Formats: sequence, C-alpha cells, structure tokens
Amino acid sequence: MMRAALNVLVILALAGGAYFVSWPAVMADAGSPEVELNAENLGPRPIEELTEKSITRDYGHAWQTMAAALRENRSDLLDGYFTGIAKAILAEEIAEQKRSGVRVRYTDQGHKLEAIFYSPSGDAMQLRDRARLEVEIVDGDKVVHREDVTLNYLVLMTPGADRWLVRDLQTTAAEVRP
Amino acid sequence: MRLFLASVLIPLALMICAAAAELRAPAQVTAGKSFSLASTGNGKGMLYLTGPGQASKRSVMLGDEIQIRGDEVEHAGRYTAVICDSGNCAATHFFVRAAEPAKVSLLVHPSRVRVGQPNAISGVAFVFDKFRNLVLSPTQVDFKAIPKQGAAVAQTRPTQNGVTWIRLTSATKEGPAKIGASLGKVSELRVVQQVASEACNLRIKPDWNGGKFFAETEPVRDCSGNAVSDGTVVSFTKVDASGKTTVDVPIKRGVARVQMPLKGNAKILVASGVVTGNELSVEGRQ
Repeated sequence: MMRAALNVLVILALAGGAYFVSWPAVMADAGSPEVELNAENLGPRPIEELTEKSITRDYGHAWQTMAAALRENRSDLLDGYFTGIAKAILAEEIAEQKRSGVRVRYTDQGHKLEAIFYSPSGDAMQLRDRARLEVEIVDGDKVVHREDVTLNYLVLMTPGADRWLVRDLQTTAAEVRP
Repeated sequence: MRLFLASVLIPLALMICAAAAELRAPAQVTAGKSFSLASTGNGKGMLYLTGPGQASKRSVMLGDEIQIRGDEVEHAGRYTAVICDSGNCAATHFFVRAAEPAKVSLLVHPSRVRVGQPNAISGVAFVFDKFRNLVLSPTQVDFKAIPKQGAAVAQTRPTQNGVTWIRLTSATKEGPAKIGASLGKVSELRVVQQVASEACNLRIKPDWNGGKFFAETEPVRDCSGNAVSDGTVVSFTKVDASGKTTVDVPIKRGVARVQMPLKGNAKILVASGVVTGNELSVEGRQ
C-alpha cells in the first residue's frame, strides 16, 4: 500500500517536472515586454477586441521567446510564436551563433505597435513596431558591442490554432508609411 | 614652452596610437549583392557581422577594404559590423533592402462561396524577392478573376509595404473561378468554387405511390437558375388531425422527397433556410 502511494507520488512529481521543463517551448512566462498597440488607422477590416488583446499578448511573448532562443541558442523555443520565414531566419541565426560562438543578446525595453493592414478575411495582419532595445554582441564571454537603440520593424502576423504567430519580422531603415 | 608642447602633444600622440580601427559601410545594400566595408588601422583585426540569419566572425586585415559576400546579406534588415583590434572595438550599421520582386504569394478567401454575393471574395497578395524578403517599394500587382463562363475581370493594384488586396463579387453562375495575381512573368492562381445560393421559388407536388403519400420538390434552384447543392436541407411540415410534424430531408439529385403518412386531410408546407415554398392541401386515402 505504502509502495503504491510512493509510486503515485513519484509519477506525479515526474509529470510535474516534465511539464515545467517543456513549458517555455510553447508558452511565455510572466515578464513579457511592454507592448502598446494602436489600431486606429487599421484597414480594410476593423480589429476585433479579442484579436487586439491576442496580438498585444502574443507579440510580447514572441519577443520574449526570441530573446531567450538567441541567448540560449535554442531554436526549439521559436516553435511557440514564430512561423514561416521569420522562424526560418531566426533558426538560421541560431545555427550561425552555434557555429561561430558569437551571440546577440536583447534586453527588451518595450514596443509601440501600430496595426496598418488587416486582411478582409482576418487571416493576416501587418504592423509597424518601434522597439526600444539594448543590444549586445557577445563573443564567448566578451561583449564586443553594446548599444541602446530604437528600431523600426515591419511585422506580419497570422493566426494559429490558439494564438497569433509572427510570420515576418524585418527591420526597416525608416518608417514606411503608405 | 617645451613643457607645454610635451604635455599636449604626447597625450595626443598616445590617443592617436590607441585609437581603435574604424569601419564604414554603405548606408544601404541590396539583398544578395556583395559589397565592401572600408576599414582604417593596420595589422590584423576581428570582424563580427550580425543581422537577420547572420552571426559570424573572421580575421581581417585592417586598413583594407573588407569584402562582404552576397550570401552573408540575403535577408533584409539591419546589420551590425564590429571590428576589434587589441581589445578596442568599433561598430557600424547598415540596412539591407529586398532585391527585385520575384515572387507573389496570394491568399484567397473563401474557397467556396455562394453566387451573386457582393465583395464576398477577397484576395491578398504579398510581393517577395528571390530571398523571400518582403519588397517594400511600391510594386504593381495584376489581379485577374476568370469565371468558368463569361469574361475575365482584371485589376491592377500597387503594393503598400509589400501588400495589396482586392475584393470581388461572386459570379451569378455556379462553377469554379480562378483568381490570380501576377507580377511580370510570375503568377499565383487559386480556385474558388462558386455554388448556388438559397433556393428560390421552392415548389412541392404530391405523389401517391402504392397507396403511400410522398411530397416531392420540383428541381431546387436558386434565383439565377443554378441547381442548389445536394445535401442542402429542405424541411417538410405536415399539419393534420394528429398534429404538426416536421421532417428535414437533404436534396438528392436536385430534389427532396419524403414519405408522409396521412390521417384525413392535411396541409403540407415546405421551406429551405429562410425560403418558404407553396402549400399543398392533401386529402388522405385509405
């Protein structure tokens, strides 16, 4: 009887441990960067309230998992919030980091998102992001470059089963306005 | 005087000797095109190059032009080049923009639509270069809708931030319509199945067969004359001495048919969706 109870406890402990180990691969923890979304000039489809919340939450989680993936050289972390070309480029960057020993570290200081295009059928949204970042380039343990910078990104997000995914993430030289 | 010169010139000379090598990059580079970074200084240094899909380092000779291969800058975005010489590092940034448009990606929704629906079909086109970078400079995309019967409809739309879109009204005749987006010789095609709309002029007739009563519709068509799809549900309602009974029947081979036991005189009503049809008054037979 005691042994059976002990077995159950061990199984529960292992299952709990496995859950927490696998957790970062699909979900972001608390501490996502601050994301503000402005959808006032969005068209042709108006944004739904729930979509607005999802975009804000999921874009923040995408940045959080991207920073972790690049810091830890773990492309599996990209699975949760990236897809398509954005995921392919980041995976390529992580492979390069592993090969060279050079890493890029982001300290995220917040995003001002502006939604600029929402497709009529609701299957793609394009946004501009002004991201405030501290960027470090590290070779082994040595920081070879550090900067505080505000970068403009053009972002394409598409809906997944239960969240919005980043499909394209491209820095632009200046704001591209229609 | 000598003391003054020594106190100014010696630190200045030391500063010049200790100054790190510098790097200069072109303000903008095209994806996949090789170019060079101008460096100052002499001796060996280490070049770091980071950007989208890129995190590399290599030894370089300072003071020379440093060649960056086209395959190191295939992805559009901001790159940082850092050059380090005996512990001192200098950085420069440059932007890589997309190459010439080479691919168009087309999203069309829905894949199945009723005929005669205004603005029911939407097409969204994304323009990419050969490295799958979104081309941000305005590009003309030609949209074309080719119905099964009738003339094709064409529209040209410029992209904004690499994206353009159209809305189309579905044709009045059922059948597949090809929706295409093209960019020079490159094109993408999608097919939208246009199906009949709601039933129109729904009519039923009585049919006695072997002493049993059947109610049967005439071929069910929409208001444009397209046959309503098999499987569409038609509701038959019988009101007689035993009360009111409703039976839902799917259309098979263009008609819906149901056997209804009668008790005395009965009224038979028919409906499909929001459309109601004629009413039958039937006298029951033994």
